[in-house]
Amino acid sequence: MNTAKKKLNIWLVLALAILALFLIFVVYPLGLILYKSILMEDGTISFSYFTKFFSKKFYWSTLINSFKVTIASTLVSAVLGLIMAYLLRSIKIKGSKYLNILIVISYLSPPFIGAYAWVQLLGRNGVITRVLNSVFNTQLGGIYGFAGIVLVFSLQSFPLVYMYVSGALKNLDNSLNEAAESLGCSTVQRVWKVIVPLITPTLLASSLLVFMRVFSDFGTPMLIGEGYKTFPVLLYSQFMGEVSTDAHYAAALCVIVIAITLVMFFLQKYIGNRLTYSMSALKPLEPEKKTGIGNILAHAFVYLVVFVAILPQLTVITTSFLETRGASYTGQFTLQNYKNIIMPKNISTITNTYLFGIAAILIVVVLGVLISYLTVRKKSFLTSIIDTLTMFPYIIPGSVLGISFLYAFNKKPLLLSGTAIIIIISLCIRRMPYTIRSSTAIIGQISPSIEEAAISLGSTEVKSFIKITVPMMMAGVLSGAIMSWITLISELSSSIILYTSKTQTLTVAIYTEVIRSNFGNAAAYSTVLTITSVLSLLLFFKVSGSEDISV
Amino acid sequence: MSVAINIENVVKRFGKETVINGLSLDIKPGEFFTLLGPSGCGKTTLLRMIIGFNSIEGGQIKIDGKVINNIPTNKRNMGMVFQNYAIFPHMSVKNNIAFGLKNRKVPKDEIEKRVDEILKIVKIDHLKDRMPQKMSGGQQQRIALARAIVIHPEVLLMDEPLSNLDAKLRTEMRNAIKQIQQQVGITTVYVTHDQEEALAVSDRIAVMNGGVIQQIDTPKNVYQRPSNTFVSTFIGLSNIMDGVLESNENGKALIRIGNYKFQMNNIKKDCGSNCRVKVSVRPEEFIINKETEEGIPVTVKSSVFLGVTTHYFVETKEGQEIEVIQSSDIGEIIPNGKKVHLKVQVQKINVFSEDGSRSFIDREVRP
Repeated sequence: MNTAKKKLNIWLVLALAILALFLIFVVYPLGLILYKSILMEDGTISFSYFTKFFSKKFYWSTLINSFKVTIASTLVSAVLGLIMAYLLRSIKIKGSKYLNILIVISYLSPPFIGAYAWVQLLGRNGVITRVLNSVFNTQLGGIYGFAGIVLVFSLQSFPLVYMYVSGALKNLDNSLNEAAESLGCSTVQRVWKVIVPLITPTLLASSLLVFMRVFSDFGTPMLIGEGYKTFPVLLYSQFMGEVSTDAHYAAALCVIVIAITLVMFFLQKYIGNRLTYSMSALKPLEPEKKTGIGNILAHAFVYLVVFVAILPQLTVITTSFLETRGASYTGQFTLQNYKNIIMPKNISTITNTYLFGIAAILIVVVLGVLISYLTVRKKSFLTSIIDTLTMFPYIIPGSVLGISFLYAFNKKPLLLSGTAIIIIISLCIRRMPYTIRSSTAIIGQISPSIEEAAISLGSTEVKSFIKITVPMMMAGVLSGAIMSWITLISELSSSIILYTSKTQTLTVAIYTEVIRSNFGNAAAYSTVLTITSVLSLLLFFKVSGSEDISV
Repeated sequence: MSVAINIENVVKRFGKETVINGLSLDIKPGEFFTLLGPSGCGKTTLLRMIIGFNSIEGGQIKIDGKVINNIPTNKRNMGMVFQNYAIFPHMSVKNNIAFGLKNRKVPKDEIEKRVDEILKIVKIDHLKDRMPQKMSGGQQQRIALARAIVIHPEVLLMDEPLSNLDAKLRTEMRNAIKQIQQQVGITTVYVTHDQEEALAVSDRIAVMNGGVIQQIDTPKNVYQRPSNTFVSTFIGLSNIMDGVLESNENGKALIRIGNYKFQMNNIKKDCGSNCRVKVSVRPEEFIINKETEEGIPVTVKSSVFLGVTTHYFVETKEGQEIEVIQSSDIGEIIPNGKKVHLKVQVQKINVFSEDGSRSFIDREVRP
C-alpha cells in the first residue's frame, strides 16, 4: 500500500510542477496582456484602446492589409503546393529526390531572408531590375508592397502545402484510381471526383497552417512592404518603435491578434475533424513515366518552381562571397564577410544560436515526453488541464509571446529580461505544442501492455517508463527534435523583441544587419544558418530513415 | 510448490458501471484454468484484477491463502503473457527474458543459467542474441512465454495469447503451451474467446457471460452437459427446439417435439410433468430417417460435402432452420427439396427449462 502511494505521488508531483511552469510562463504573461489591454493609465478599466484601433483608418487598415496579403499568399501557396505535389507523385520527374530536399530547404529558412533576397534581386537596385531596366530602357521601381509580400510568402509557404498534400497522396491507394477507371471514369473526372475530394481535408488543414504563419509574420512585410503596413508591423512599431511607444495599446493589439488566430485555430480543428478520411495505401500511387510534350511541360514547370523557390538561398550564398562597401557591391569575390562574422566580438551570435537552440531542445524534449506520457497514460482532471494549457502557445504569435514576456518578467522576483534564460524559455514555449503532439502520437503507437509486461516482471512504474517507454520513443522523438531544432534556429519574431546585444542570435543578427544595410554580413550569417539547416536535415533523414517531413 | 487461487465475491466497477458483481471461483494448485466467453463478458477484466492492473472494488482475491488485493503488481510474483506479446523491441531475446530476473536482483551467472534453461524449454535457444523485431508471431510468443515463466511466478496468466497467430501456428502453439505448462507445473489462468482452444488446453473451463459465470467444468462436461442454453450454443453449435416434457415417472421421461415422441432416462425427478422445455440437439446428434415417418418432419434446403462429414441445412414445417451433420456415406447425398424425418440420439441430447437457464439432465444417471 505504501509503495503504491509513493509511486502515485511521483506522477502527481511531476504534473503539478509542469502545471506551475505553464502557469508562470504561459498563463501569467497572457493574463497580464489581457489585463493591460483594458487598463487605462489612470488605473480605470475600459475598452478605449480597442475603440481607438477600430476608429482610426491608420490602424484598422493594417488589419485589412494583413488579411489581403495573407489570403492572397495562402491561395497561391495552396494552388502551387497542390500542383507540385500531384505532378511529383504522379509523373516520374528526373531528380525528384533532390527536388524534394530543395523544396524543404526553401521552406526551412525564415521568410524574412526570402524578403531581403528578393529585394536584392527585384528591388529598386536589384540585379534583375537593373538588367530589365537597361534592356527594355524602362524605370521599373522594383517589387515592394503587396506584390512583394505575396511573392515572398507564397514561395516560402507552398512547400508546407506541398509536404502535407504529398503525404496524403502517398496514402492514397491506387486501386481507388483503378476502381474509378473500371467504373468508366476518364482521367480528368478521376482526378476531380476521386483524388481532389480525398485530399481536400489535408489541403485545407495545411492552407490554414500557412494562413496562421503568414498572418503573424512581421519580418517580411517589414523588409519588403515599405509603405504597405500590415498588422504585425504595426504591433512591432507600437511596442518597439522610436516615435511613439504605447505599451497598453500594444497589449490591446496583441489581444486582437490572439483573437484572430484563435478563430483560425478552431476553424482548422472543425474542418479537420469533419473532413478526415483515414486511409492507408496497400498499393500507393506510383509515379508514371510520361513521354512527349506533357513530360517536357511537367519537367519545365517543376524545375522552374523549385528554382524560383530556392533562388533566395542561392542569392544569399552568392552575395556572402561578394565584397561590399556599405550597401553596394564592388563586384569582387572575398571571404571578408565570413572573417567579419567570426571576429571575437561577433562570434557570440553563432555560439548563442547553437547554445540557446540546444538548451531549448533538451528542455522541450524532456518536458514534451513527460507531458505526453502524463496526458496519454495518466489521464486525470489535472493532466487534461495540462493538455489544454500546453496547446495555448500554438495560437500565440511569436511577437505576442515576446511582448508578454517583457511585460511579465522585467522586475523582481522574476527579473529575466535581457538574459539568455528568457530567450531559451520563449523558444521552449513556442516549440512545446509541436513536440507534445508528436510525442503523443509516438506514445499512442506503443501498446500499454508493453509497460504492463515490465511491471508484471517486477519493475516499478517509474523504472518501466525509463527503461522501456523512453527507449522505445527515442527514435521518433529524436527525429522530431531535429526538426524542432531547425525551426528554433530560424525563429525571429519573439527573439527580435527579447534580445539584447549579449543574447543576439543568427536570425536577429541577419535582420539587424539587413536593416543597417550591411548586406555582406547578413548574407554570411544567412549562409551559416542555411548550412546548419541543411546538415540538420540530412541528419534527420539519417535518424528517421524516411524521406517524409512533418513540421 | 503450486498454489491455489481463491476469488471471493469480487466486484469491479469502471466509474458507475459495474462490470463484475460478486464473482467467486476457486482454482486448484497446478491447474490449467480457462476463462472463456464472448468479448465483453468480463474475462479479461477478471484476469487483470488477478495481476493487479485493475483495482478490486469489493471482495478479495487470495493466492496461496494470502489476500493480495493491496499488493502492487510488481510485487505479486505473477507472470503474464499478453495478446500482442508485448516484447520489448529494443532488447535482444536474452535481455527480454532476463528483464524480470534483473528486477529481482538475481546474480548474473544464475540469470545466464536460467535464461539458457528456459530457452531450451520453449525451443528458441538458437535465437538467444537476436533482436525480436523481425521474428514471427510464434517465435515472439515463445519469448513472451519464456519471459513470464523464467521468474518462477506463483501464477501464470495468459490473455488471449494465440489470437494474433494464423490458424496453423495457433494449433502448434497451443500444444506447446499445454506441454510447457505441464512440464513447469504452474497454476495457470488462461483467457480466450475461442472455444476450441479452451477445450484443447484446459483442465477446467469457466464459461462467462455478462460478468457472470455460467458453468465451471471440465472441457468434456462443458461440451456434452452444458448447464444452460447459453453454454450449449456458445460452446459448439446447438439447435434449440421447443418441446414438452409429457411425463416423468420411474426414471422414464417422455418428451415430445411436435408429433415426435421419445423416451429419456436421465431427466431429473423434480422437473414436473406436462411442462414446456427447450431441447438442445447438436448437429451430429441427429439421425436422418429416410424410410419411416418417425421423427421431426423437415425439408432439405441445401447441403455441403466436407469429406469426413456432410452438412445438411433443413427446415421444419414451422420454418425453423436446423443444421444436421452426418458422417459421409458412400451413397448419394440427399437432394435439395427432399422431405425426411429427424430422430435424435437420446443419450447425447440436453433438455433445459423453458427459459433456458437450467438443465434438466441428471448427471448421476448413465443414459
